[in-house]
Amino acid sequence: MSGRSTVGGKSAIVGIGTTEFARQIGRPEEVTALEAIRSALEDAGLNPKDVDGVFQVEGQTGEPWDVAHRLGVENLRAFSTTGGGGGAAAGPVVWAATAVAGGLCEVAVAYRARNRGSMQRPWAQSPARPTDRRAFDLPYGLVAPAQQIALTARRYLYESGAPEDCFARVAVAQRDHATRNPRAVFRDPITVEDVLESRMISDPLHLLECCPETDGACAVVVTSVERARDLAQAPAVIAGVAQGTGHRHTLMTNLQAPDPLVWPGASAAQDLYAMAGLTPGDVDVALLYDMFTPVTLYNLESYGFCGRGEAGHFVAEGGIDGVDAKLPVNTHGGNMSEGFLHGFNHVLEGVRQIRGSSTGQVANVDVALVGAAPVVPTSSFLLTR
Amino acid sequence: MGQSAMIDVRPMPAVTELSEPYWSGTRRGELMLQHCVDCENPQFPPEVSCTHCGSASLNWQRASGRARLYSWTIAHPPLLPYFAARAPWPVVAVELEEGVRMVSQLVGLEVEDYEFDMPLVADFEKVDEEVTLVVFRPAESK
Ligand SMILES: [Zn+2]
Repeated sequence: MSGRSTVGGKSAIVGIGTTEFARQIGRPEEVTALEAIRSALEDAGLNPKDVDGVFQVEGQTGEPWDVAHRLGVENLRAFSTTGGGGGAAAGPVVWAATAVAGGLCEVAVAYRARNRGSMQRPWAQSPARPTDRRAFDLPYGLVAPAQQIALTARRYLYESGAPEDCFARVAVAQRDHATRNPRAVFRDPITVEDVLESRMISDPLHLLECCPETDGACAVVVTSVERARDLAQAPAVIAGVAQGTGHRHTLMTNLQAPDPLVWPGASAAQDLYAMAGLTPGDVDVALLYDMFTPVTLYNLESYGFCGRGEAGHFVAEGGIDGVDAKLPVNTHGGNMSEGFLHGFNHVLEGVRQIRGSSTGQVANVDVALVGAAPVVPTSSFLLTR
Repeated sequence: MGQSAMIDVRPMPAVTELSEPYWSGTRRGELMLQHCVDCENPQFPPEVSCTHCGSASLNWQRASGRARLYSWTIAHPPLLPYFAARAPWPVVAVELEEGVRMVSQLVGLEVEDYEFDMPLVADFEKVDEEVTLVVFRPAESK
């Protein structure tokens, strides 16, 4: 792909909004979505009637046009719903930026509302007689995402020779950030011992290496860099966006890929850096999807911060510990400790880092990377000042 | 988005038009793989076209059954009730000699003795008249 993109650097995130995060929020997704969107518009100094684009992640109640209707939008010029589960976390921003840069709309909202704290997990609905690909997994007891990720995680430890506790170090580093974040669902500090002594979920993954289910909603407002200059907040310029799958990708186990430990995120990363004209070395802080601890490592390698098999060693050596780490990661606490907004909370944290307003603020942030789940069809973007 | 009860049986494949050659193969004690007529690559699980080159021309060929242990996990509750009652439940991924990987189980070996890349051979576990699952056992013990 050529670096001469018409999307990179043409739009900016100008507003962010969120509800509280809770195990049970007590309000439906249609309501929390609007709360987050109104809050993001207010943050930007814009009105609901200014909105002409709505972009969302799949798997929530209500369509983009329902949201537009409820906001009183006169004409919804651009809308889409991004698929890919956790891989879609950055997707609505990818498409909002693309639509704004392409002139399809001028003020776009991108959002995720997710009430999962009180819901049964999707795997619990597994059919007795699967007709699809699951026919080859479910009979053997490979049912839940934790087990799917555990399969590659165990292989990862073997191939990389990384210390067994490298995954636990991710949970500890992220929790440390969450202790300073009043929005976080989990704020008590934890140690590597706490993680390794927590209940085994799917060997080698312990309970504290799996993110909880959370209720809440997050939204951002995207507009052109020209319009952004006149608004309330310093813009977080969207320098590059990408999606990707890689070749022969078959969701979380990735078993049919040439190398199952090279993930869709690695394909998205190449296009992302090319569009932005940036390299991994330019990134000051990374907000990386983390539904299980190994996924943070997979993201570190996918986005070029570490070579293949090096992320476990990097983390074990303290590479992501604290705001002055070699690479500060998930300074809000991530899905695992702030709350599981399916990675959309990482989008907001990326903007805070560019603005200088995070509770885990990194010094002198010029470039922030937001990466969705790299282990499924994925998405990502780069923010600059 | 209901809270319907989890199935209490062990999930078993619904044999479809696409997967029938695979499941009739396991009933005969043969591990069958789709191959592309145009690019000759094998693939698994069955698909309606070649995932290497997009060709619609596929046939079925018998695999050698030789494999190596790619990885494994040991699942603990919460699980579907059938597996929860039998937990901890080991699940493996194997890489066939032909290059494709599949999820399965090891028989004839305790979890403590699993080793990465150890040689395995396919074996067949009859569940009922319709379904026979492919499992793997250590190559030397056959
Ligand atoms: Zn082919």
